[in-house]
Amino acid sequence: MDIESPVTQVPKHLQFRVALLLAITLVIAVGFVAYALYARGVFEAVQRLTLVADNAEGASVRMDLTFSGFPIGVVRRITLGDDGKARIEIDVPLKEAKWLRSSSVFTLERGLVGGSKIRVFTGNLKDPPLPDGAVRPVLRGDTTEEIPQLVATSRAILENLERLTGTGGALQGTLANLQTLSERMSGRHGMLGAVFGADADAAKVVASIERANALLASLERASARLDTLIANADRRVLGDAGVLEQTQQAVAQAQALLGDLRGSLKKLDAVLLEAQGVGANAKAATTDLGKLRSEIDESVRKMTSLIDEVNRKWPFRRETEITLP
Amino acid sequence: MTAANPFVEWLVGWARAVRFAGLALATAMSPSAYRAETRDVALKQIYFTAWQVLPGFLLFSALFSFVVIEISVNAARGFGLAPYALELVMRGLVLELIPLVTALFVALRSGAAIATEIGLMKATGELERMQAAGTDTLEREFVPRVAATAVSMFSLTVLSCAIAVALAYFAMYGASPHGFADFTRVVALVFERAALGGFVLKCVVFGALVAVIPIAAGLHATARLKSVPVVVLDGMVRLFFALGAVEVLALAVKYT
Repeated sequence: MDIESPVTQVPKHLQFRVALLLAITLVIAVGFVAYALYARGVFEAVQRLTLVADNAEGASVRMDLTFSGFPIGVVRRITLGDDGKARIEIDVPLKEAKWLRSSSVFTLERGLVGGSKIRVFTGNLKDPPLPDGAVRPVLRGDTTEEIPQLVATSRAILENLERLTGTGGALQGTLANLQTLSERMSGRHGMLGAVFGADADAAKVVASIERANALLASLERASARLDTLIANADRRVLGDAGVLEQTQQAVAQAQALLGDLRGSLKKLDAVLLEAQGVGANAKAATTDLGKLRSEIDESVRKMTSLIDEVNRKWPFRRETEITLP
Repeated sequence: MTAANPFVEWLVGWARAVRFAGLALATAMSPSAYRAETRDVALKQIYFTAWQVLPGFLLFSALFSFVVIEISVNAARGFGLAPYALELVMRGLVLELIPLVTALFVALRSGAAIATEIGLMKATGELERMQAAGTDTLEREFVPRVAATAVSMFSLTVLSCAIAVALAYFAMYGASPHGFADFTRVVALVFERAALGGFVLKCVVFGALVAVIPIAAGLHATARLKSVPVVVLDGMVRLFFALGAVEVLALAVKYT
């Protein structure tokens, strides 16, 4: 049979080929195992770090400890301590240990999607390094734990929103009012109608404005008349033959009268002197005295009448009545 | 052969296979099995099972791995889960799919051939003649083949997986060497001691099954030549079930 020939035929260098194949396989297998051991840090010196958490939920063996997003260590073991707290033991290669300082803060965060993360935050890289076997607390942040609260809050918000927007809700009422407002604004009285609500009130405002306009026109006329009035007063007081001029004349007359009076008084002085000098001859002088007395009386009368006239004509005296046309 | 209940027949077939596996294991343990003649048989078997198919199989395996890796990485990136793509590829493809595909390939190519050969030897009376001549057929013929098939399986799987790991690196990071640290981290995560041990064990078990079940089936052939196709078919179906069962068992142990 033809088919038997390749089966029974012993190829040349069979041993060599098979040995080569097995050798390659072995090298690859051993190489990969060595690589896997290297990857797992078997050949690397590590320092131990223990994180203490109230709740180790989400943490798992072979989980990374990340610093600035870079894995710098792996969780080696998670145990429940005697104090009821979870102890997460982490191996950190010595070459990465420089990122761990005594002031470092560790967090165990749980996201909505994907696994949990253990992170380390180091504020000051100049602080003393974390010693081997250090025990540190880990802060927990759990998104899923916050979900119930979030849901409760958002439900309350949604209910409020529903109440606002539902039938008879505040929003709907406001919108209805707004619609009425805009309808009034586009109505006969425009903005005024919208501001005053009722058309009647708007009409009143319009009427008020009209009346104010009329009032202004009447005021204008009144002020024109007032102008004329002032001009007339001006003329009467300050113009030719006005009150002022008459007053000036009266003053001049008064001055002349006072001159007369002074003359009369001087005469009286002389008379009195004469009377004093004459003395005994008083009886003879009595006739002269009677004459003089009548003169003085006359002068005083003239004076009184003049003052009366001045008083009458003086325009700024309070009691004086000035009748205006 | 009596026309018995098919289920009982089926169970008896399994019992024969298990018995043969036990005998083969016992023989492999005895030092007398390691002789020049048995070594020659084993070398020939390795040559035919692994060396002859190496280029074609590695090409197929690389293509298959490339497609699966590309799909996984792109899908993971599309879902924003790129950091998990590599782990998925390592766990799914390298640790599970490639060993299974390799086992199926070797079963199709060598398992069927072995079953047919043994069936024909049984049908033509050659085996009986050898036994009459005082030759221990189990030690001379069968055990070397089982061992050789297991070694071949392991070799093909390791080479395919190496190619797949390299392809995964290139699919994820391209030719850049800066992805190495990240890659190493994922390797550390996936290839823990149990995973590596389980991987080697699974490869060996697959290899042994691919030889043991067809041989056990072939030995069941009668003197009639027409019985050979029946026993080969039976052996291949059993082999398929056995491979599937081992894979499921391995997954169950690993992920529960």
